[in-house]
Amino acid sequence: MSVQLDTALLVGMMTGVAVWLILHRSFLRILFGFALLSNAVNLAILGVSGDPSGRDVPIVGETAGSGIVDPLPQALILTAIVIGFGVVSYLLFLFYRMFVDHETVDLDELHQEGDRADKEAEQ
Amino acid sequence: MNWVVLILLVPLFTGAFGVLSPRPSRARRGVFLGSAVVQLLLAIVVAALVSGGDRIVLAPGGWGASVGIVLVVDLLTGIMLVLAAGTAVACIVFAYASREAAVEHPLQLPLMQFLITGINLSFVTGDLFNLFVAFEVMLIASYALLSLESDNRNVRHAWSYLSINLVGSAIFLLGCGLTYGMFGSLNFAVIAERSNELAGDPLLVLLGLVFLVVFATKAGMFPLYYWLPNSYPILPGAMAAFYAGMLTKVGVYVLLRIFGTMFPADLPVVSELLAWGAGATMVFGVLGAVARDRVQHILSYHIISQIGFMVLAIGFATPLAITAAILYITHHIVVKATLFLVGGAVIHVHGTDRLECCGGLARLAPWLAAGFFLQAMSLAGIPPLSGFWGKYLIIVEGVALGQYVLVGASIVASILTLVSMMKVWLGCFWKAAPENGSAPVVRPGLATMSVVVTVMTAISLVIGLGVERFYGVAAEASRQVLDREGYIEAVLAVGVVPSGEATAVSAEDAGGVAK
Repeated sequence: MSVQLDTALLVGMMTGVAVWLILHRSFLRILFGFALLSNAVNLAILGVSGDPSGRDVPIVGETAGSGIVDPLPQALILTAIVIGFGVVSYLLFLFYRMFVDHETVDLDELHQEGDRADKEAEQ
Repeated sequence: MNWVVLILLVPLFTGAFGVLSPRPSRARRGVFLGSAVVQLLLAIVVAALVSGGDRIVLAPGGWGASVGIVLVVDLLTGIMLVLAAGTAVACIVFAYASREAAVEHPLQLPLMQFLITGINLSFVTGDLFNLFVAFEVMLIASYALLSLESDNRNVRHAWSYLSINLVGSAIFLLGCGLTYGMFGSLNFAVIAERSNELAGDPLLVLLGLVFLVVFATKAGMFPLYYWLPNSYPILPGAMAAFYAGMLTKVGVYVLLRIFGTMFPADLPVVSELLAWGAGATMVFGVLGAVARDRVQHILSYHIISQIGFMVLAIGFATPLAITAAILYITHHIVVKATLFLVGGAVIHVHGTDRLECCGGLARLAPWLAAGFFLQAMSLAGIPPLSGFWGKYLIIVEGVALGQYVLVGASIVASILTLVSMMKVWLGCFWKAAPENGSAPVVRPGLATMSVVVTVMTAISLVIGLGVERFYGVAAEASRQVLDREGYIEAVLAVGVVPSGEATAVSAEDAGGVAK
């Protein structure tokens, strides 16, 4: 596999931004953080199939025989995208529910309110 | 007739049926219970087929192991399938007893079936990416089930479960990509074959560490267990029991599969980390249990502590230790599910599981109390109950390996387990009901619950008293897990091996990266 410094840098940057977003307290940023993280990982898998320059498309009948792009990582990403989509849509609904219940988009406030309610329930 | 595919399809179609006919009724409940029993019978058939020491290898697409998906069943898989199906039957009966059919949440049973589909798929898969898909099926169903019936206050505890598992899944997917880059394949057998040549390569150690982090998170090991003890108690009792019995054990099973079969056993850094992480897990888990004052919370911390024992055995990585791990997993799934069911019954009777508000259950439901007492002693490792034998073998092996600190930690953890289980026993069953608290009353369904708990206790007693037979089975399963050559040979013999350029290219790539 040839060196793909640009892909590696992009994956690193996306992961960094994703982690930065996930560490926020606001639901919306966390949501975007997870979406970005799953895309960063997908890009990393795409990088595994190697530098595509000078290679043919992986379609039977159109390959010249000089070597084709490895199609398996693309199939894997297709699956991973669908799964990531499912997870993000679940996350969206969980956050929506927490917002409707507590009227806040801030995780800290949510936990403080919950702890208060726990104490009241004990007494 | 293909039993292995049926074991995946039956829960899937049952779940789909439940989604399509959402109106709760007794007939619908009957269908789910019938399906669970059929699944148990199927699992027993599959386990019987592999009990002779053969492996069932199946290539659903017809492609060989290097490109296609394969399903592999060996004895360990068979044991896990039977345990999962048996726990599911017990939990479904318990769920039926705990409330009327009319007030049941229409999605609870279908989601549980999807959960079982994911669990079964992660047991039978022979392919890393398929394992990822299985984990996601399982996890998404478990996220939904977790927040399905939690109230406004508790739904925040779903967040810790969700966030850690999401990050874990992302790292898992990244690990799949790295594996494909290194080996040019995601099949366990192909990876096992090629990793023989790469022994001692630092990249292989790095990959081992990535998977260690992922599956240690899923199994709930120190210091990655934060998500577990707060999230399980928000589930209804029956579902909490199923989660407690099965979900973390899937992580342990995969650790066994990956560090027993897939990677060469001489990854010293990883084994050391596993063993010491396990030691810390045992002690910190049980300390959390001692500090808590609610039944389900105490039991949740105990899961963590017991995971430590299993992983410690995997970290030792000798044949005897793997046997001990398998024996311990068998014991733990039965015992932990029973204890959580008893916790569910306590909530059913009192409306809360706070120890200071409970009491007097021993007089009200003597069979329940006896079941809890026996299972609690078994968990603490009192001979000759089932929990003793796994611990005994692990300690014997630890002494043989000279790991005295870890052996000491496991003994301390066992004693503290006894202390905290006695706390639950005294609080819930032995002492009289508090005057200001809610007095226990016999509610409908308690008799059925007692029956379920008694049957589970009886199974655990059979494991403990007839341990020779179970030890033999576990030893055979551990021989198969560690038999890497046999595994590779069995898997690679199946399906068409394509002779295209794509495989050649990726194999070259793999070689390139390895250098």
